[in-house]
Amino acid sequence: MSEYFEVFLSGLLLGGMYGLIALGLNLQYGVARILNLSYGEFLIGGAFVAFFTITGITISIFGVAIVALPPLNPLLSLLLGPPIAFAMNWLIYQFLMVPLIRRAPDQDVLDADVVLVTFGLLFVFQGLALVQWSGDLRSYEFLAVPVKVAGATVPLNRLLAFVGACALAIALFLVLRHTRFGSALRAITIDPVAASLVGVDVRKYSALAFAVGGALAAASGMLVSTFNSFSATTGVEYTLKALIVVILAGVGRVTGTLAAGLLLGVVEQLGGKLIDHSLTIAINFGLFMLVLLLRPTGLFTRA
Amino acid sequence: MDRRTFVKGSAAVVGASTLAAGKVYAQAAAPDKLRFGYAITQSGPLGPGADSTTISAYRLWQKQVNDAGGISLKKYNKKVPVDYVSYDDQGKPDELLKLTERLIQQDRVDMVLSPYASHMNLASAPIINRYEFPVIMTTATTNKTYELGPRWPYAFWNIAQPRASSGALSKALGDLKKQGKIKGRVATIYPSVEYGVENNEAFIAAAKTDGVEVVFTKSYPFGVSDLQPLIREVMAANPDAFIAFSYPPDTFMLTEQARILGFNPQFMYVAIGGVFPSYRAKFGNNVNGILVYGPADPRAPGMDAFAKAHQAMFNRPYESGAVNVYSALQVTQQAIETVGEIDRKKIRDVIASGTFNTVWGEIRYVNQLNANPWAVGQWQGGELACLFPADKAGAKPMLFPKPAWS
Repeated sequence: MSEYFEVFLSGLLLGGMYGLIALGLNLQYGVARILNLSYGEFLIGGAFVAFFTITGITISIFGVAIVALPPLNPLLSLLLGPPIAFAMNWLIYQFLMVPLIRRAPDQDVLDADVVLVTFGLLFVFQGLALVQWSGDLRSYEFLAVPVKVAGATVPLNRLLAFVGACALAIALFLVLRHTRFGSALRAITIDPVAASLVGVDVRKYSALAFAVGGALAAASGMLVSTFNSFSATTGVEYTLKALIVVILAGVGRVTGTLAAGLLLGVVEQLGGKLIDHSLTIAINFGLFMLVLLLRPTGLFTRA
Repeated sequence: MDRRTFVKGSAAVVGASTLAAGKVYAQAAAPDKLRFGYAITQSGPLGPGADSTTISAYRLWQKQVNDAGGISLKKYNKKVPVDYVSYDDQGKPDELLKLTERLIQQDRVDMVLSPYASHMNLASAPIINRYEFPVIMTTATTNKTYELGPRWPYAFWNIAQPRASSGALSKALGDLKKQGKIKGRVATIYPSVEYGVENNEAFIAAAKTDGVEVVFTKSYPFGVSDLQPLIREVMAANPDAFIAFSYPPDTFMLTEQARILGFNPQFMYVAIGGVFPSYRAKFGNNVNGILVYGPADPRAPGMDAFAKAHQAMFNRPYESGAVNVYSALQVTQQAIETVGEIDRKKIRDVIASGTFNTVWGEIRYVNQLNANPWAVGQWQGGELACLFPADKAGAKPMLFPKPAWS
């Protein structure tokens, strides 16, 4: 039985990672109503900042070394990556998305425009990353040590990502429930037009939600990079995975995102153990299709 | 015939003969450059691999050849620089075929170079064969080359095929068992993609003849997120040898997770990605004793200069796969210089029958397959050592057992 408990625990940790990478996307898609296909690029951006923090980096301009940073704890990169991602996403919303929102007659047209523009952004960011950092696979070792949880062995770096996911989900929950900012975001999620009628500045709050989503992407990228290798081109894989979790949870159900991620992780690992490991991804998509058929609005939406 | 017609007619004859003479003259003059063409994946998931393995070697070789004045064509007693025409095939075989045809028919290149990845190499072989362009395919490892390779006399295959690399592993384990150093219980895992499946099948077939017992074999999906449960099952089977026909992201993941779980097999092999400089950088001295696919010997003649030139040009260490690509360019250059002109039939015959000294060791083709490419290596003292084929010059003895994780 302890064998299954360990697989269950692995599933929980994996699910925590799924929830973590999807939190930001659900803010962007659920609240700001922007399906950002370049989401994964910000995640990879966070991973790169963490990578250069732990390996050390010499920043040079025109071949002249300006600053040489020694290797530091990659957690410190959380002070740099997410704020940059926040600023960039805020600018993207204000200068690329707002014009689209203004001219779109309805949400369907907007969705189509947004998908095209963010798809383009994906290639711009990926291209810049390739030119700057090449396509090499990156990986570093951080907290790759075993810890015992209820008698089972788990890697500390995956545990850290799990704890990070829970902490961020709880923080988001508290902000959404107990602050004025949170009330405004919830109002926009339910109905942006009605929200603006009662005095919520929809553009301002949507921009903030979009920017926070980007910052969460960078933070999750940092945490995930402690145990997953990445390269300039792997961002899109995370966007797809995050999108599955968001649809599973329900668009706009920010706290449900973590629960959906956990479910996905546990089902994937236990299914793999019980049936066959080569089917884990198939099991993932099987669950996804089942939810689409039975509860197309997501698991955690109110009927 | 009246006079006017006669004048016209003779003018035409004179004109034609001058033209013909001009053509003969043009043929005799040396070309001012040699145009090499390649269509390769520059965008999409395979783009980064194509860049670090293949394109970087193409660019480095071109720079070095041109810095030395070019390829020597003795027919004209002249060195001629190399020029590239290249296209992005976007990882699509149909695009690759169109672009290869375009290189040959429209751009009229003198030579064609290999695309990237097994299926793309295989896809381009029939077309370069039809136009009789000799090409050394540098990134195809699939058992299909054994049957299909000889059909295309103009295609050459440079790297170790699954039967060679997996067979070497099985034989090494069989020998260790005969010497009583190991019980010979092997566990294998592999991603469910062609590379993993073919290698695993080849290994299991070879293990039977070598008296090695496969106690566990399971596949995992391409793009797997967590291998801990699978490694747990491997450990439960209590093997003394662990073989993973893995892809780069899983190679990194399974090494880290085996270490975290304290899984210490005496013999451990990882496939693609095990030779990467970033693999060594991540795991430090823990790489020692791990066996890897497709190594290059850093101590081989010419490798020191290659490593320095690569670092200077790209500001990053080379990946062993790039050494194989560079060696194919050296073979091509030597063959052209032996023939002394661009006569592709003769160049093909020289490649097919000659022996060539390269940074990747001595290369010779039998039925167009590289007779003895480096297949399996091992990290020893933080450096790659080439182990198999064991009879190849420069082969080192295996470090056994693999040291426990630190």
